[in-house]
Amino acid sequence: MKIDPILLSVYARTFRSITDEMSISVQKTTCSPILCEAKDYVTGLYDAEGRMLEQTENLPILAFSLAPVCKYIRNHFGDDIHPGDVIFHNDVFSLGNQNNDVAVYKPVFFENELVAWTAVKGHQADIGGAVAGGYNPNAVEVWQEALRIPPVKVYEKGKLRKDVWDLIFANIRFDIVQHDMKAQMGACHVGDRRMVELLKKYGRKNFEAHKSALFEATRKMMEAEIATIPNGTYFGEGSIYYDGRHEGSKFKVRVDITVEDKRIKFDYSKTDPQSNGFVNGTFTSSASATILTLLQMINPDIPHNEGMVEPIEIVIPEGTILNAGYPKATTFGNHLCPPNADAIQRALAPVMPERVTAGWNNLLCSLTTGIDPQKNDKYVDIGFMGLKGGSGAMLGTDGYDHIGMIDASGGVLDQDYEMFEQQTPHRLIKHEYLCDSAGPGEWRGGLGVETIFEIGSDNTQFVTFGDGDFEPAFGLFGGGSGTLNSIRLTYPDGKVVVPRNKDLITNVPKGTIYHQEAGGGGGYGDPHKRDRVKLRAEVRDGVISAAAAQKIYGL
Amino acid sequence: MSLKIGIDVGGTFTDFIVSSAGRETLIHKVLSTPDDPSVAVLAGLEEIAPKLMPPADIREFMASIDAIVHGTTVATNTTLTHTGARSALLTTSGLRDALEMRRGIRERQYDNRYTNVKPLVPRYLRIGVGGRLDRNGAEVAPLSLEDIRRAIDLCKSEKIEAVSICFMNAFANPAHERTAEDLVRKELPEAYLTVSTKLLPTIRFYERVSTTVLNSYVGPKLNHYLSRLVTALKEAGFDGVLLIMQSNGGVMSPQVAREKAALTLLSGPAGGPGAGLFYARALGTDRCITTDMGGTSFEASVAIGSPATVTDGEIARHKIALPMLDIHTIGAGGGSIAWLDDGGLLRMGPQSAGAAPGPACYGRGGTLPTTTDANLVLGYLDPDYFAGAKMQLDVAAAARAIETNIAKPMGLSVEAAAAGMYRVACNNMAQGVREVTIKRGYDPREFPLIAAGGAGPMHSCLISNELEIPLQVVPKSASVLCAFGMLLSELKHDFMRTFVARLDALDWQRLAAVLEEMHSEGEQVLAEERIPPPQRRYGVRFDCRYVKQYHEVSFDVPWQTIERRDMAAIGRIFHAEHNRLYGYSMEVEQAPIELINMRLQAVGATEQRGHAEESYHRSSAAHAAKGRRRMYIPEADSFQSVQTYDGHRLRHGNQIEGPALIETVTTAVFISASFDSVVDRYGSFILYRKGREDLVRSLLAREEAEATA
Repeated sequence: MKIDPILLSVYARTFRSITDEMSISVQKTTCSPILCEAKDYVTGLYDAEGRMLEQTENLPILAFSLAPVCKYIRNHFGDDIHPGDVIFHNDVFSLGNQNNDVAVYKPVFFENELVAWTAVKGHQADIGGAVAGGYNPNAVEVWQEALRIPPVKVYEKGKLRKDVWDLIFANIRFDIVQHDMKAQMGACHVGDRRMVELLKKYGRKNFEAHKSALFEATRKMMEAEIATIPNGTYFGEGSIYYDGRHEGSKFKVRVDITVEDKRIKFDYSKTDPQSNGFVNGTFTSSASATILTLLQMINPDIPHNEGMVEPIEIVIPEGTILNAGYPKATTFGNHLCPPNADAIQRALAPVMPERVTAGWNNLLCSLTTGIDPQKNDKYVDIGFMGLKGGSGAMLGTDGYDHIGMIDASGGVLDQDYEMFEQQTPHRLIKHEYLCDSAGPGEWRGGLGVETIFEIGSDNTQFVTFGDGDFEPAFGLFGGGSGTLNSIRLTYPDGKVVVPRNKDLITNVPKGTIYHQEAGGGGGYGDPHKRDRVKLRAEVRDGVISAAAAQKIYGL
Repeated sequence: MSLKIGIDVGGTFTDFIVSSAGRETLIHKVLSTPDDPSVAVLAGLEEIAPKLMPPADIREFMASIDAIVHGTTVATNTTLTHTGARSALLTTSGLRDALEMRRGIRERQYDNRYTNVKPLVPRYLRIGVGGRLDRNGAEVAPLSLEDIRRAIDLCKSEKIEAVSICFMNAFANPAHERTAEDLVRKELPEAYLTVSTKLLPTIRFYERVSTTVLNSYVGPKLNHYLSRLVTALKEAGFDGVLLIMQSNGGVMSPQVAREKAALTLLSGPAGGPGAGLFYARALGTDRCITTDMGGTSFEASVAIGSPATVTDGEIARHKIALPMLDIHTIGAGGGSIAWLDDGGLLRMGPQSAGAAPGPACYGRGGTLPTTTDANLVLGYLDPDYFAGAKMQLDVAAAARAIETNIAKPMGLSVEAAAAGMYRVACNNMAQGVREVTIKRGYDPREFPLIAAGGAGPMHSCLISNELEIPLQVVPKSASVLCAFGMLLSELKHDFMRTFVARLDALDWQRLAAVLEEMHSEGEQVLAEERIPPPQRRYGVRFDCRYVKQYHEVSFDVPWQTIERRDMAAIGRIFHAEHNRLYGYSMEVEQAPIELINMRLQAVGATEQRGHAEESYHRSSAAHAAKGRRRMYIPEADSFQSVQTYDGHRLRHGNQIEGPALIETVTTAVFISASFDSVVDRYGSFILYRKGREDLVRSLLAREEAEATA
């Protein structure tokens, strides 16, 4: 079939509008603030064989596991895929990325043939296991973390398999998860409707031919981007502090990046072995981290489809901390993105100094559960507003203030303050930029934030998960580092508890003050060269102190 | 002679439409004067006076005007160019950065060079004030009067022109805001002041603070402009009513506009959807998609009974949560520039050549290929009859620009490249239409498409083909659609209250009291605007969600339903709307529903002026035929010789078979091979898909019927 170059643009644009529409549908209908407020989900469109057509990647760390799982599901069911089927999946040992990230896949049929898939993967408020919300720092095996869902049909030929549905949700604590999975299915229907419309218009053959041409065009774009990086092998590393079980434990992510003309290879063979805790990656979560970091160094408008990932080779031996073997615990795996990104930025900084950033603030987060005494009802909250530190600066551009972990790259939102107080019994006392948190530089890092709230329920449970309280975001080319993360609980009786970066704190009483600092990003270049007009305005605005301006920036 | 005039100030042109009862409307355009838009308004009025039948002198003319309805871009431009008032914000201590943080979003995730928006109030002027209410509105800590006094001192020393007040949880209890308001008013009587709960008493802190600050930011400039305009009009002899177009599609008095300046942020395009509906109604339908394609942008909106609205809009990445018409804007206009991306794919816009240097064919120094250049190469534009032959177009320059930048690199002929540009531009616009139809759960095929704007009617057939839309209307006043819509607008005022309650446990008495409160506020405003009670009406909307959901679905609730306290009926409307929007509902499970906000819209009917109706002429259009011209037929992907017509000579009932082209001074209507056309009684060109004569049966059957009679 002859390829119409114009129609190619039409397809590309239409795919994106479909995944965007699915994304809005999820945001507007889900109950868990993790989904509807923070947008911790991805929507995608795949061809019959599970190859990526397009995605809307609100949280990129989830994004690059959907296509591999789609291919897996396709093989798993073989011919047993029918119109009206809906499949759930979260299993990290069949290419899932994190137990809590549960995906819905819906096959799209046109003229009785399987032509495509729509999918939505989102972080569920609970997925069973030992600890509400899923982050169990004591876990060593997957069963202590979560209910495993290998590919399972919850609808078959349009009919709900009620027994299967009940089995799944009998193992999950919160009812809202049922609603949220329905919302994800709703979004898959929305995408299905649009795909069928598109195929009606152009026909299957035309779609297939143009799809392949689109992959090809995108692959060429990606190859051209890679070709701008000098050939060679570059080494970098990043650090992980504490596995949740062994005090003082520390691990290294090590990467050898080899660029050979149009191809790029990320080899993690030198990375440390897996931990005996839940601080382990899965292959797809680690590969997502690699891809999303690379994407930030190239043309940001490149279409996201199979052609984009083809020139990238990723080697992560099983048994390393970035690709743990069965049946290790892995819930923390998505958050090994920051050290992975650090390793990549450090490796490439000498050869492409104009495109890397200094270090981003690492994630340190807390998840709160308890009973709202006024409503006599359970609540769960991931403290998104507390965790959003600054991004790393780059040549010519300051870091982004209060953006949060690189895993999300600014796609995750804070809770709205008033909605936070409706949703939890807590009272927000402070949420402001943190003075002097930004790594100094000619281009400074993004600002971190300070968050304080008063806890409004007794027997409150806190799970902390993260890093960045030992090593700050690094500076580059003379830029300074950002500040450290910290969390501190001050009980009504004056007792102060400083949780470890992966910890479980129970029985926290009402009236306790929660205090968190998310650090700033690393700076880039000599702070003495920073624009003085900007610097004076920053002093006036109280985001850089007069003392720091004088001492560090030489004002 | 009693006149009503719509005046739409745009970026390039200021459009006028003059209506006098029973006569044909008069259209006029002058170049805008961005430094002081009222200059162009007065200049245009002076030019119109001698064009009237009979000609009038300016004072005579001004004195005969009953009403001027005015759309202004002052607030919009002030925001886009960051030239608003020197502003301060008084807000709850500890939370002053919410405005700048924008909930921590970076809209372009993979773009590390993408920076945050500059806040409308710098940090040192965002002043924390002690005092706190809990989520139910109960006082946790008293308001710190000392903090407020300190803030006032800072405002004085910093020569602040505009102050915003927005406190945490004030939606549940405005007491702290009111106290602060009194103090600020007393100490800073000259400052423009916006209090969040007076502008937008609903939950969600970021939305409220952002909207409040926007209002203060644009308020002083808009005030200044309106004062100047009112004075200038008065001096010229105008003694009628001046009404200002607002973002919700209604109009308001200048007094209301002064206090709620943010209501004018969409004042310019807000006339379009109502005008579209007027033309749709002439066809006997109450719904339509209105599109308006100008030089740099393309706007699309949907109306079902009335134009659709949203409450989560944005301007220049600042949130604005006031009800606005749901108008989707994309960067696709006559000036949109064609380019090839790194993968060699053809793209159109959003970069625009604007009016200067303009498209290559304007011969004003532009060398980049634009949509207009493609239209010229494709034969849709006559180089010798552009703007009624006021301007000569350079075909060779257009071809050269396309050749160099698109055709050669893609290995296509100039004509094939131009056709590609045309198709990509149409696809972009079709996606824009999808945003307001399919994304909102509507099937575009069920709506006639109103094709307006100077460049719109050249593209509407292909857009309609993409979306399988069978019926289009090219209005007579296509080039001044928004100004025409202003003639049709009624006074509209929105009130809202957060009212959190489960539908199955509603306190109907309290609900009625809150509705009554909004109702009496509406009565008061309409009374101030001198609208007599019989011309006032009120509509209620509920924002509901399933318990534990986070976002609401907004829908109309009939008064009778509230009077009957019919909770089940309200539930049914909600389930149906949820299913339509998001692909599922929880009606079977009988999931509990909760009410979050109640909204009331007070409408004051004003005299509406449409077009005068033409008497029936005949089916033949032969009298208006001009020559034949070679042009691109997208259905055949080839060039053919096509009949052209003089649009000014076409009359009610005339029929034209596609492909054909109708030319007027302000636009060209391309009827592709899939469509035929007939002129309706307002002089609109109705385009219907071949084989779908049923859609315009009454228009086509007229001659037969009269012959039989």
